[in-house]
Amino acid sequence: MNQWEVFVMDMAELAEGKDIEISIRTLNPGVQKYTYKHVRAQVSSSLDKFPDKLQVRMGRGQLSAAKFSIKVIEEIRRLPPQYS
Amino acid sequence: MSKISAPRSNREFIEACVKAGDAVRIKQEVDWENEAGAIVRRACELGAAAPFMEKIKDYPGFSYFGAPLSTYRRMAISLGMDPASTLPEIGKEYLARTNGEPIAPVTIDRKDAPCKENILLGADVDLCKLPVPLVHDGDGGRYVGTWHAVVTKHPVRGDVNWGMYRQMMFDGRTMSGAVFPFSDLGKQLSEYYLPRGLSCPFATAIGLSPLAAMAACAPSPIPEPELVGMLSGEPARLVKCETNDLEVPADAEIIIEGEICPDYKVEEGPFGEYTGYRTSPRDFRVTFRVNCITYRNNATMTISNMGVPQDEGQLLRSFSLGLELEKLLRSQGIPVTGVYMHPRSTHHMMIVGVKPAYTGIAQQIAQLAFGSKLGPWFHMVMVVDDQTDIYNWDEVYHAFCTRCHPENGIHIYRNTTGTPLYPFATPHERKYSIGSKVLFDCLWPVDWDKTNDVPTLVSFKNVYPKDIQERVLANWTTYGYPEVK
Repeated sequence: MNQWEVFVMDMAELAEGKDIEISIRTLNPGVQKYTYKHVRAQVSSSLDKFPDKLQVRMGRGQLSAAKFSIKVIEEIRRLPPQYS
Repeated sequence: MSKISAPRSNREFIEACVKAGDAVRIKQEVDWENEAGAIVRRACELGAAAPFMEKIKDYPGFSYFGAPLSTYRRMAISLGMDPASTLPEIGKEYLARTNGEPIAPVTIDRKDAPCKENILLGADVDLCKLPVPLVHDGDGGRYVGTWHAVVTKHPVRGDVNWGMYRQMMFDGRTMSGAVFPFSDLGKQLSEYYLPRGLSCPFATAIGLSPLAAMAACAPSPIPEPELVGMLSGEPARLVKCETNDLEVPADAEIIIEGEICPDYKVEEGPFGEYTGYRTSPRDFRVTFRVNCITYRNNATMTISNMGVPQDEGQLLRSFSLGLELEKLLRSQGIPVTGVYMHPRSTHHMMIVGVKPAYTGIAQQIAQLAFGSKLGPWFHMVMVVDDQTDIYNWDEVYHAFCTRCHPENGIHIYRNTTGTPLYPFATPHERKYSIGSKVLFDCLWPVDWDKTNDVPTLVSFKNVYPKDIQERVLANWTTYGYPEVK
Protein backbone atom coordinates (compact mmCIF):
# COMPACT_ATOMS: atom_id res chain seq x y z
CA MET A 1 0.00 0.00 0.00
CA ASN A 2 1.25 3.44 -0.91
CA GLN A 3 0.31 6.66 0.83
CA TRP A 4 -0.30 9.78 -1.20
CA GLU A 5 -1.27 13.36 -0.56
CA VAL A 6 -2.99 15.92 -2.76
CA PHE A 7 -3.57 19.68 -2.50
CA VAL A 8 -6.95 20.98 -3.61
CA MET A 9 -8.77 24.29 -3.48
CA ASP A 10 -12.13 22.58 -3.48
CA MET A 11 -13.05 19.04 -2.51
CA ALA A 12 -15.09 18.86 -5.70
CA GLU A 13 -11.78 18.41 -7.52
CA LEU A 14 -11.77 14.88 -6.14
CA ALA A 15 -14.74 13.63 -8.08
CA GLU A 16 -15.57 10.02 -7.32
CA GLY A 17 -16.49 7.43 -9.92
CA LYS A 18 -14.51 8.95 -12.78
CA ASP A 19 -10.95 9.28 -13.96
CA ILE A 20 -9.33 12.47 -12.77
CA GLU A 21 -5.93 14.06 -13.41
CA ILE A 22 -4.14 15.23 -10.31
CA SER A 23 -0.66 15.85 -8.95
CA ILE A 24 -0.02 13.69 -5.91
CA ARG A 25 2.98 13.46 -3.66
CA THR A 26 4.23 10.35 -1.99
CA LEU A 27 4.11 10.05 1.78
CA ASN A 28 6.01 6.77 1.77
CA PRO A 29 9.02 6.97 4.09
CA GLY A 30 12.44 7.61 2.55
CA VAL A 31 14.33 10.25 0.66
CA GLN A 32 11.69 10.39 -2.09
CA LYS A 33 9.02 11.51 0.37
CA TYR A 34 7.04 14.56 -0.79
CA THR A 35 8.07 14.23 -4.45
CA TYR A 36 5.27 14.51 -6.95
CA LYS A 37 3.80 12.59 -9.82
CA HIS A 38 1.08 13.80 -12.17
CA VAL A 39 -1.35 10.94 -12.61
CA ARG A 40 -4.65 9.77 -13.93
CA ALA A 41 -6.45 8.15 -11.04
CA GLN A 42 -9.70 7.23 -9.42
CA VAL A 43 -10.51 8.15 -5.85
CA SER A 44 -13.13 7.03 -3.40
CA SER A 45 -14.25 8.16 0.03
CA SER A 46 -14.60 4.46 0.77
CA LEU A 47 -11.21 3.67 2.23
CA ASP A 48 -11.37 0.03 1.22
CA LYS A 49 -12.25 0.53 -2.40
CA PHE A 50 -8.76 1.17 -3.80
CA PRO A 51 -5.38 -0.13 -2.66
CA ASP A 52 -3.61 3.14 -1.86
CA LYS A 53 -4.46 5.84 0.68
CA LEU A 54 -4.90 9.51 -0.17
CA GLN A 55 -4.67 12.35 2.31
CA VAL A 56 -5.91 15.82 1.40
CA ARG A 57 -4.64 19.32 2.11
CA MET A 58 -6.38 22.52 1.18
CA GLY A 59 -4.82 25.41 -0.73
CA ARG A 60 -2.84 26.85 2.12
CA GLY A 61 -1.69 23.58 3.58
CA GLN A 62 -4.55 22.88 6.00
CA LEU A 63 -4.92 19.15 6.53
CA SER A 64 -8.42 17.99 5.69
CA ALA A 65 -10.21 15.47 7.86
CA ALA A 66 -11.48 13.79 4.70
CA LYS A 67 -9.66 10.58 3.69
CA PHE A 68 -9.79 8.74 0.43
CA SER A 69 -8.52 5.60 -1.19
CA ILE A 70 -6.92 5.97 -4.59
CA LYS A 71 -6.04 3.87 -7.61
CA VAL A 72 -3.28 5.31 -9.75
CA ILE A 73 -4.14 4.28 -13.30
CA GLU A 74 -1.12 5.78 -14.99
CA GLU A 75 1.50 8.43 -14.61
CA ILE A 76 1.03 11.21 -17.12
CA ARG A 77 4.27 12.54 -18.52
CA ARG A 78 3.68 16.16 -19.43
CA LEU A 79 7.34 17.01 -19.70
CA PRO A 80 8.27 18.06 -23.25
CA PRO A 81 10.83 15.63 -24.70
CA GLN A 82 13.58 18.24 -24.98
CA TYR A 83 13.86 18.34 -21.18
CA SER A 84 14.02 14.60 -20.63
CA MET B 1 44.60 44.99 -0.03
CA SER B 2 41.24 44.80 1.71
CA LYS B 3 41.01 46.07 5.27
CA ILE B 4 37.71 44.27 5.70
CA SER B 5 37.87 40.93 7.47
CA ALA B 6 34.46 39.56 6.59
CA PRO B 7 33.82 35.79 6.37
CA ARG B 8 34.54 34.72 2.79
CA SER B 9 32.40 31.60 2.83
CA ASN B 10 29.49 30.03 4.64
CA ARG B 11 31.99 27.88 6.56
CA GLU B 12 34.02 30.83 7.76
CA PHE B 13 30.78 32.53 8.74
CA ILE B 14 29.61 29.56 10.80
CA GLU B 15 32.95 29.46 12.61
CA ALA B 16 32.78 33.20 13.32
CA CYS B 17 29.21 32.86 14.64
CA VAL B 18 30.12 29.89 16.86
CA LYS B 19 33.10 31.82 18.23
CA ALA B 20 30.89 34.84 19.02
CA GLY B 21 28.23 32.69 20.66
CA ASP B 22 25.83 33.38 17.80
CA ALA B 23 25.58 29.81 16.52
CA VAL B 24 25.21 26.48 18.30
CA ARG B 25 26.50 23.14 17.07
CA ILE B 26 23.77 20.51 17.26
CA LYS B 27 25.43 17.10 17.34
CA GLN B 28 22.39 14.86 17.65
CA GLU B 29 20.59 13.66 14.55
CA VAL B 30 17.92 16.00 13.22
CA ASP B 31 15.12 15.00 10.85
CA TRP B 32 14.90 16.89 7.55
CA GLU B 33 11.13 16.46 7.77
CA ASN B 34 9.82 19.30 9.97
CA GLU B 35 12.29 18.94 12.87
CA ALA B 36 15.07 21.03 11.32
CA GLY B 37 12.53 23.62 10.24
CA ALA B 38 10.98 23.76 13.69
CA ILE B 39 14.39 24.33 15.29
CA VAL B 40 15.10 27.20 12.92
CA ARG B 41 11.66 28.72 13.43
CA ARG B 42 11.97 28.65 17.20
CA ALA B 43 15.44 30.15 17.01
CA CYS B 44 14.02 32.97 14.89
CA GLU B 45 11.13 33.66 17.22
CA LEU B 46 13.44 33.70 20.25
CA GLY B 47 16.19 35.70 18.55
CA ALA B 48 18.43 32.80 19.54
CA ALA B 49 21.74 31.60 18.14
CA ALA B 50 21.73 30.08 14.67
CA PRO B 51 21.48 26.27 14.67
CA PHE B 52 24.29 24.41 12.91
CA MET B 53 22.86 20.89 12.61
CA GLU B 54 25.71 18.52 11.93
CA LYS B 55 23.83 15.23 11.49
CA ILE B 56 20.81 14.94 9.20
CA LYS B 57 18.58 11.88 9.08
CA ASP B 58 19.03 9.92 5.82
CA TYR B 59 21.84 12.23 4.67
CA PRO B 60 25.20 11.33 6.19
CA GLY B 61 27.91 13.86 5.40
CA PHE B 62 25.52 16.79 5.01
CA SER B 63 24.62 19.47 7.54
CA TYR B 64 22.23 22.41 7.89
CA PHE B 65 22.86 25.99 8.93
CA GLY B 66 19.61 27.72 9.86
CA ALA B 67 18.62 31.33 10.40
CA PRO B 68 21.96 32.60 9.12
CA LEU B 69 21.18 36.32 9.24
CA SER B 70 18.12 36.64 11.44
CA THR B 71 19.78 38.95 13.98
CA TYR B 72 21.67 42.21 13.65
CA ARG B 73 24.55 40.59 15.54
CA ARG B 74 24.99 37.99 12.80
CA MET B 75 24.61 40.72 10.19
CA ALA B 76 27.46 42.61 11.86
CA ILE B 77 29.57 39.42 11.91
CA SER B 78 28.88 38.89 8.23
CA LEU B 79 30.28 42.34 7.50
CA GLY B 80 33.33 41.72 9.67
CA MET B 81 32.10 44.18 12.31
CA ASP B 82 31.86 43.96 16.07
CA PRO B 83 28.78 41.80 16.81
CA ALA B 84 27.62 44.46 19.26
CA SER B 85 27.41 47.11 16.53
CA THR B 86 24.16 49.04 16.51
CA LEU B 87 21.80 49.04 13.56
CA PRO B 88 22.67 52.64 12.58
CA GLU B 89 26.36 51.68 12.66
CA ILE B 90 25.74 48.65 10.46
CA GLY B 91 23.65 50.74 8.09
CA LYS B 92 26.34 53.41 7.87
CA GLU B 93 28.94 50.78 7.05
CA TYR B 94 26.71 49.23 4.36
CA LEU B 95 26.19 52.63 2.75
CA ALA B 96 29.89 53.47 2.90
CA ARG B 97 30.88 50.20 1.24
CA THR B 98 28.18 50.24 -1.40
CA ASN B 99 28.68 53.87 -2.39
CA GLY B 100 32.22 53.17 -3.56
CA GLU B 101 33.51 51.83 -6.85
CA PRO B 102 32.17 48.43 -7.95
CA ILE B 103 34.70 45.60 -7.57
CA ALA B 104 34.56 43.17 -10.48
CA PRO B 105 34.59 39.44 -9.67
CA VAL B 106 37.36 37.07 -10.73
CA THR B 107 36.81 33.74 -12.46
CA ILE B 108 38.88 30.92 -11.05
CA ASP B 109 39.81 27.56 -12.51
CA ARG B 110 37.30 24.85 -11.80
CA LYS B 111 39.97 22.66 -10.17
CA ASP B 112 40.32 25.36 -7.49
CA ALA B 113 36.60 25.69 -6.87
CA PRO B 114 35.36 23.89 -3.74
CA CYS B 115 31.83 23.65 -5.16
CA LYS B 116 33.15 21.20 -7.79
CA GLU B 117 34.30 18.55 -5.33
CA ASN B 118 31.31 16.35 -6.28
CA ILE B 119 29.59 16.47 -9.66
CA LEU B 120 26.34 14.71 -10.58
CA LEU B 121 25.45 14.57 -14.26
CA GLY B 122 23.01 12.64 -16.44
CA ALA B 123 21.20 9.80 -14.73
CA ASP B 124 22.96 10.62 -11.46
CA VAL B 125 21.13 13.93 -11.14
CA ASP B 126 18.61 13.60 -8.36
CA LEU B 127 17.57 16.34 -5.95
CA CYS B 128 16.61 13.64 -3.45
CA LYS B 129 20.33 13.10 -2.93
CA LEU B 130 20.41 16.50 -1.23
CA PRO B 131 18.95 16.97 2.27
CA VAL B 132 16.14 19.19 1.04
CA PRO B 133 14.09 20.04 4.14
CA LEU B 134 10.36 20.15 4.67
CA VAL B 135 10.57 23.58 6.29
CA HIS B 136 7.00 23.95 7.57
CA ASP B 137 4.40 21.24 8.03
CA GLY B 138 1.80 21.78 5.33
CA ASP B 139 4.14 23.38 2.83
CA GLY B 140 3.54 22.31 -0.74
CA GLY B 141 6.86 20.53 -0.83
CA ARG B 142 10.44 20.35 0.32
CA TYR B 143 12.16 23.63 -0.40
CA VAL B 144 15.57 23.51 -2.03
CA GLY B 145 15.98 27.25 -2.11
CA THR B 146 15.16 29.28 0.96
CA TRP B 147 18.49 31.10 1.44
CA HIS B 148 20.33 31.01 -1.84
CA ALA B 149 20.82 32.78 -5.16
CA VAL B 150 19.27 31.92 -8.48
CA VAL B 151 21.85 33.03 -11.04
CA THR B 152 20.72 34.08 -14.53
CA LYS B 153 22.08 36.28 -17.27
CA HIS B 154 20.36 38.36 -19.93
CA PRO B 155 21.46 36.82 -23.23
CA VAL B 156 21.74 40.14 -25.05
CA ARG B 157 22.58 42.76 -22.46
CA GLY B 158 24.67 40.38 -20.39
CA ASP B 159 23.14 41.59 -17.13
CA VAL B 160 23.82 39.09 -14.39
CA ASN B 161 21.14 38.61 -11.78
CA TRP B 162 21.36 36.80 -8.48
CA GLY B 163 17.94 36.62 -6.89
CA MET B 164 16.41 34.81 -3.98
CA TYR B 165 13.43 33.12 -5.61
CA ARG B 166 12.01 30.31 -3.51
CA GLN B 167 12.33 26.88 -5.14
CA MET B 168 10.36 23.76 -4.31
CA MET B 169 11.45 20.23 -5.22
CA PHE B 170 8.70 18.80 -7.42
CA ASP B 171 10.57 15.63 -8.29
CA GLY B 172 14.18 14.52 -8.48
CA ARG B 173 14.91 16.67 -11.50
CA THR B 174 12.31 19.41 -11.32
CA MET B 175 11.84 22.46 -9.14
CA SER B 176 9.12 25.08 -9.26
CA GLY B 177 9.28 28.55 -7.85
CA ALA B 178 7.63 31.87 -7.26
CA VAL B 179 9.03 34.45 -9.66
CA PHE B 180 7.01 37.64 -9.54
CA PRO B 181 6.49 39.50 -12.82
CA PHE B 182 8.07 42.69 -11.47
CA SER B 183 11.24 40.96 -10.27
CA ASP B 184 14.46 41.07 -12.29
CA LEU B 185 14.09 37.45 -13.33
CA GLY B 186 10.38 37.89 -14.03
CA LYS B 187 11.13 40.79 -16.36
CA GLN B 188 13.91 38.84 -18.06
CA LEU B 189 11.61 35.89 -18.70
CA SER B 190 8.69 37.95 -19.97
CA GLU B 191 10.87 40.26 -22.04
CA TYR B 192 13.13 37.74 -23.73
CA TYR B 193 12.73 34.03 -23.12
CA LEU B 194 8.99 33.41 -23.01
CA PRO B 195 8.11 35.28 -26.24
CA ARG B 196 10.80 33.33 -28.06
CA GLY B 197 9.94 30.01 -26.49
CA LEU B 198 13.52 29.66 -25.30
CA SER B 199 14.65 27.99 -22.13
CA CYS B 200 16.60 30.21 -19.72
CA PRO B 201 19.79 28.79 -18.22
CA PHE B 202 19.95 29.10 -14.44
CA ALA B 203 22.15 28.02 -11.56
CA THR B 204 21.02 27.93 -7.96
CA ALA B 205 23.79 28.51 -5.44
CA ILE B 206 23.13 27.34 -1.87
CA GLY B 207 25.32 27.87 1.16
CA LEU B 208 26.71 31.18 -0.02
CA SER B 209 29.00 33.45 1.90
CA PRO B 210 26.75 35.70 4.00
CA LEU B 211 27.66 38.75 1.93
CA ALA B 212 26.79 36.94 -1.30
CA ALA B 213 23.43 36.08 0.25
CA MET B 214 23.05 39.69 1.35
CA ALA B 215 23.72 40.83 -2.22
CA ALA B 216 21.22 38.34 -3.63
CA CYS B 217 18.61 39.66 -1.22
CA ALA B 218 19.35 43.37 -1.74
CA PRO B 219 17.34 45.31 -4.32
CA SER B 220 20.45 47.20 -5.42
CA PRO B 221 20.95 48.36 -9.02
CA ILE B 222 24.57 47.18 -8.75
CA PRO B 223 25.09 43.69 -10.25
CA GLU B 224 25.32 41.25 -7.38
CA PRO B 225 28.81 39.83 -8.12
CA GLU B 226 30.18 43.38 -7.97
CA LEU B 227 28.11 44.23 -4.94
CA VAL B 228 29.62 41.26 -3.11
CA GLY B 229 33.05 42.64 -3.93
CA MET B 230 32.12 46.05 -2.56
CA LEU B 231 30.69 44.58 0.62
CA SER B 232 33.65 42.29 1.26
CA GLY B 233 36.40 44.60 -0.04
CA GLU B 234 37.78 42.09 -2.52
CA PRO B 235 36.65 40.42 -5.74
CA ALA B 236 34.08 37.65 -5.48
CA ARG B 237 35.47 34.30 -6.65
CA LEU B 238 33.34 32.79 -9.40
CA VAL B 239 33.60 29.60 -11.42
CA LYS B 240 31.96 28.54 -14.64
CA CYS B 241 29.08 26.07 -14.53
CA GLU B 242 29.38 22.54 -15.94
CA THR B 243 26.41 22.67 -18.30
CA ASN B 244 25.88 26.33 -19.19
CA ASP B 245 27.84 29.58 -19.46
CA LEU B 246 26.80 31.02 -16.13
CA GLU B 247 29.28 31.73 -13.37
CA VAL B 248 28.56 30.89 -9.76
CA PRO B 249 30.21 31.58 -6.40
CA ALA B 250 33.08 29.11 -6.25
CA ASP B 251 32.86 28.71 -2.46
CA ALA B 252 29.15 27.91 -2.38
CA GLU B 253 28.21 24.62 -0.79
CA ILE B 254 25.83 23.37 -3.47
CA ILE B 255 25.20 24.38 -7.09
CA ILE B 256 22.17 23.23 -9.07
CA GLU B 257 22.36 23.89 -12.80
CA GLY B 258 19.58 23.69 -15.33
CA GLU B 259 17.10 25.54 -17.46
CA ILE B 260 13.85 27.38 -16.86
CA CYS B 261 11.23 25.87 -19.12
CA PRO B 262 9.15 28.30 -21.18
CA ASP B 263 6.57 25.70 -22.11
CA TYR B 264 6.21 23.52 -19.05
CA LYS B 265 4.86 24.37 -15.63
CA VAL B 266 4.27 22.34 -12.53
CA GLU B 267 2.57 23.26 -9.29
CA GLU B 268 4.34 25.18 -6.53
CA GLY B 269 3.42 26.14 -2.98
CA PRO B 270 1.89 26.88 -0.64
CA PHE B 271 4.84 28.05 1.45
CA GLY B 272 5.13 29.92 4.73
CA GLU B 273 6.49 33.31 3.81
CA TYR B 274 8.10 36.42 5.32
CA THR B 275 4.72 38.05 5.90
CA GLY B 276 4.13 35.48 8.63
CA TYR B 277 1.46 33.66 6.62
CA ARG B 278 0.97 31.05 3.96
CA THR B 279 -0.91 33.44 1.70
CA SER B 280 -0.87 32.20 -1.85
CA PRO B 281 -2.29 28.80 -2.68
CA ARG B 282 -0.51 26.38 -4.90
CA ASP B 283 -0.50 27.26 -8.55
CA PHE B 284 1.37 26.42 -11.74
CA ARG B 285 4.52 28.48 -11.53
CA VAL B 286 7.95 28.92 -13.09
CA THR B 287 9.55 25.53 -13.56
CA PHE B 288 13.24 24.71 -13.33
CA ARG B 289 14.60 21.55 -14.94
CA VAL B 290 17.81 20.34 -13.33
CA ASN B 291 20.72 19.11 -15.48
CA CYS B 292 23.60 19.01 -13.02
CA ILE B 293 24.33 19.17 -9.29
CA THR B 294 27.74 19.98 -7.83
CA TYR B 295 28.58 20.21 -4.16
CA ARG B 296 31.37 20.43 -1.64
CA ASN B 297 32.43 17.54 0.51
CA ASN B 298 30.41 17.64 3.73
CA ALA B 299 28.15 20.28 2.21
CA THR B 300 26.05 22.51 4.43
CA MET B 301 22.61 23.48 3.23
CA THR B 302 21.37 26.86 4.45
CA ILE B 303 17.78 27.15 5.67
CA SER B 304 15.75 30.27 6.15
CA ASN B 305 12.49 29.53 7.88
CA MET B 306 10.21 32.41 7.17
CA GLY B 307 7.18 33.10 9.31
CA VAL B 308 6.29 35.57 12.03
CA PRO B 309 9.11 37.95 12.94
CA GLN B 310 11.86 37.75 12.90
CA ASP B 311 13.82 35.92 10.31
CA GLU B 312 16.41 36.99 7.79
CA GLY B 313 13.79 37.50 5.10
CA GLN B 314 12.36 40.31 7.19
CA LEU B 315 15.55 41.56 8.79
CA LEU B 316 17.84 41.67 5.79
CA ARG B 317 15.21 42.74 3.32
CA SER B 318 14.08 45.55 5.64
CA PHE B 319 17.68 46.58 6.08
CA SER B 320 18.57 46.65 2.38
CA LEU B 321 15.27 48.09 1.16
CA GLY B 322 15.55 50.95 3.65
CA LEU B 323 19.13 51.75 2.77
CA GLU B 324 18.56 51.50 -0.98
CA LEU B 325 15.62 53.89 -0.63
CA GLU B 326 17.81 56.25 1.38
CA LYS B 327 20.33 56.24 -1.46
CA LEU B 328 17.59 56.93 -3.99
CA LEU B 329 16.13 59.83 -1.99
CA ARG B 330 19.54 61.37 -1.41
CA SER B 331 20.32 61.07 -5.12
CA GLN B 332 17.27 63.27 -5.71
CA GLY B 333 18.52 65.90 -3.25
CA ILE B 334 15.85 65.21 -0.66
CA PRO B 335 17.14 66.16 2.81
CA VAL B 336 16.44 62.84 4.51
CA THR B 337 17.87 62.12 7.94
CA GLY B 338 17.48 58.38 7.43
CA VAL B 339 15.22 55.59 6.25
CA TYR B 340 14.29 52.59 8.35
CA MET B 341 12.06 49.58 7.99
CA HIS B 342 11.31 47.82 11.21
CA PRO B 343 11.69 44.07 10.57
CA ARG B 344 8.49 43.51 12.50
CA SER B 345 6.63 45.31 9.74
CA THR B 346 7.67 42.29 7.63
CA HIS B 347 9.21 44.91 5.35
CA HIS B 348 5.90 46.55 4.60
CA MET B 349 6.38 49.97 6.20
CA MET B 350 9.10 52.41 5.25
CA ILE B 351 9.81 55.09 7.85
CA VAL B 352 11.51 58.15 6.42
CA GLY B 353 12.95 60.99 8.48
CA VAL B 354 13.24 64.27 6.58
CA LYS B 355 13.81 67.94 7.14
CA PRO B 356 10.43 69.39 6.08
CA ALA B 357 11.95 71.88 3.69
CA TYR B 358 8.98 72.45 1.40
CA THR B 359 5.35 71.62 0.88
CA GLY B 360 4.64 68.19 -0.57
CA ILE B 361 7.97 66.66 0.40
CA ALA B 362 6.25 63.64 1.97
CA GLN B 363 4.28 63.03 -1.23
CA GLN B 364 7.45 63.37 -3.28
CA ILE B 365 9.12 60.77 -1.08
CA ALA B 366 6.19 58.38 -1.35
CA GLN B 367 5.95 58.74 -5.11
CA LEU B 368 9.65 58.05 -5.53
CA ALA B 369 9.50 55.12 -3.14
CA PHE B 370 6.42 53.50 -4.64
CA GLY B 371 7.50 54.30 -8.21
CA SER B 372 10.94 52.75 -7.89
CA LYS B 373 11.85 49.09 -8.38
CA LEU B 374 11.76 48.83 -4.59
CA GLY B 375 8.10 49.83 -4.53
CA PRO B 376 6.30 46.51 -5.02
CA TRP B 377 7.85 45.15 -1.82
CA PHE B 378 6.10 47.51 0.61
CA HIS B 379 2.84 49.38 0.74
CA MET B 380 3.24 51.91 3.56
CA VAL B 381 5.45 54.96 3.78
CA MET B 382 5.48 57.02 6.95
CA VAL B 383 7.27 60.35 6.83
CA VAL B 384 8.37 61.99 10.08
CA ASP B 385 10.42 65.10 10.70
CA ASP B 386 14.12 65.36 11.41
CA GLN B 387 13.52 65.68 15.16
CA THR B 388 11.98 62.21 15.35
CA ASP B 389 14.31 59.26 15.87
CA ILE B 390 13.28 56.86 13.10
CA TYR B 391 14.82 53.91 14.98
CA ASN B 392 12.74 54.65 18.09
CA TRP B 393 9.31 53.14 17.51
CA ASP B 394 7.88 54.99 20.54
CA GLU B 395 8.75 58.32 18.96
CA VAL B 396 7.59 57.29 15.50
CA TYR B 397 4.31 55.92 16.82
CA HIS B 398 3.73 59.09 18.83
CA ALA B 399 4.37 61.22 15.74
CA PHE B 400 2.02 59.06 13.69
CA CYS B 401 -0.80 59.21 16.21
CA THR B 402 -0.53 62.94 16.86
CA ARG B 403 0.65 64.59 13.64
CA CYS B 404 -0.90 62.56 10.85
CA HIS B 405 -4.12 64.37 9.95
CA PRO B 406 -6.85 61.81 9.28
CA GLU B 407 -8.02 63.68 6.20
CA ASN B 408 -4.99 65.56 4.96
CA GLY B 409 -2.16 63.31 6.06
CA ILE B 410 -3.24 59.96 4.67
CA HIS B 411 -2.79 59.54 0.92
CA ILE B 412 -3.89 56.39 -0.86
CA TYR B 413 -2.49 55.25 -4.20
CA ARG B 414 -4.68 52.75 -6.01
CA ASN B 415 -3.99 50.11 -8.66
CA THR B 416 -0.27 49.98 -8.08
CA THR B 417 2.02 46.94 -8.30
CA GLY B 418 1.61 44.56 -5.40
CA THR B 419 2.85 41.14 -4.48
CA PRO B 420 0.79 37.96 -4.40
CA LEU B 421 2.01 37.55 -0.84
CA TYR B 422 0.12 40.51 0.65
CA PRO B 423 -2.06 38.83 3.30
CA PHE B 424 -4.63 41.63 3.20
CA ALA B 425 -5.09 41.53 -0.57
CA THR B 426 -8.10 39.93 -2.18
CA PRO B 427 -7.54 36.69 -4.09
CA HIS B 428 -8.03 38.61 -7.34
CA GLU B 429 -5.43 41.21 -6.35
CA ARG B 430 -2.98 38.50 -5.40
CA LYS B 431 -3.43 36.63 -8.66
CA TYR B 432 -2.65 39.71 -10.75
CA SER B 433 -0.14 41.41 -8.41
CA ILE B 434 -2.48 44.37 -7.94
CA GLY B 435 -1.50 46.55 -5.04
CA SER B 436 -2.48 49.71 -3.27
CA LYS B 437 -0.27 51.97 -1.20
CA VAL B 438 -0.63 54.47 1.58
CA LEU B 439 1.41 57.44 2.74
CA PHE B 440 1.21 58.61 6.33
CA ASP B 441 2.42 62.21 6.28
CA CYS B 442 3.42 63.01 9.86
CA LEU B 443 5.00 66.39 9.11
CA TRP B 444 3.67 69.67 10.38
CA PRO B 445 2.40 71.64 7.39
CA VAL B 446 5.02 74.06 6.10
CA ASP B 447 2.48 76.88 5.94
CA TRP B 448 1.75 76.68 9.67
CA ASP B 449 3.29 79.45 11.73
CA LYS B 450 6.07 77.75 13.68
CA THR B 451 5.47 79.90 16.76
CA ASN B 452 1.71 80.08 16.92
CA ASP B 453 0.38 77.10 14.96
CA VAL B 454 2.81 74.23 15.51
CA PRO B 455 2.20 72.52 18.87
CA THR B 456 5.15 72.36 21.23
CA LEU B 457 6.49 68.90 21.90
CA VAL B 458 6.37 68.37 25.64
CA SER B 459 9.34 66.17 26.43
CA PHE B 460 12.30 66.21 28.77
CA LYS B 461 14.62 67.04 25.88
CA ASN B 462 12.41 69.75 24.41
CA VAL B 463 10.86 71.89 27.14
CA TYR B 464 13.54 72.24 29.84
CA PRO B 465 16.52 74.57 29.77
CA LYS B 466 19.79 72.81 29.03
CA ASP B 467 21.22 73.57 32.49
CA ILE B 468 18.20 71.99 34.17
CA GLN B 469 18.47 68.91 31.98
CA GLU B 470 22.15 68.54 32.83
CA ARG B 471 21.47 69.00 36.55
CA VAL B 472 18.74 66.37 36.54
CA LEU B 473 20.87 63.94 34.59
CA ALA B 474 23.85 64.50 36.88
CA ASN B 475 21.76 63.97 40.00
CA TRP B 476 19.63 61.12 38.69
CA THR B 477 21.14 58.38 40.81
CA THR B 478 21.38 60.75 43.78
CA TYR B 479 17.62 61.15 43.57
CA GLY B 480 17.42 57.42 44.14
CA TYR B 481 16.96 56.13 40.61
CA PRO B 482 19.07 53.37 39.12
CA GLU B 483 21.52 54.38 36.44
CA VAL B 484 20.02 54.57 32.96
CA LYS B 485 22.06 52.79 30.31
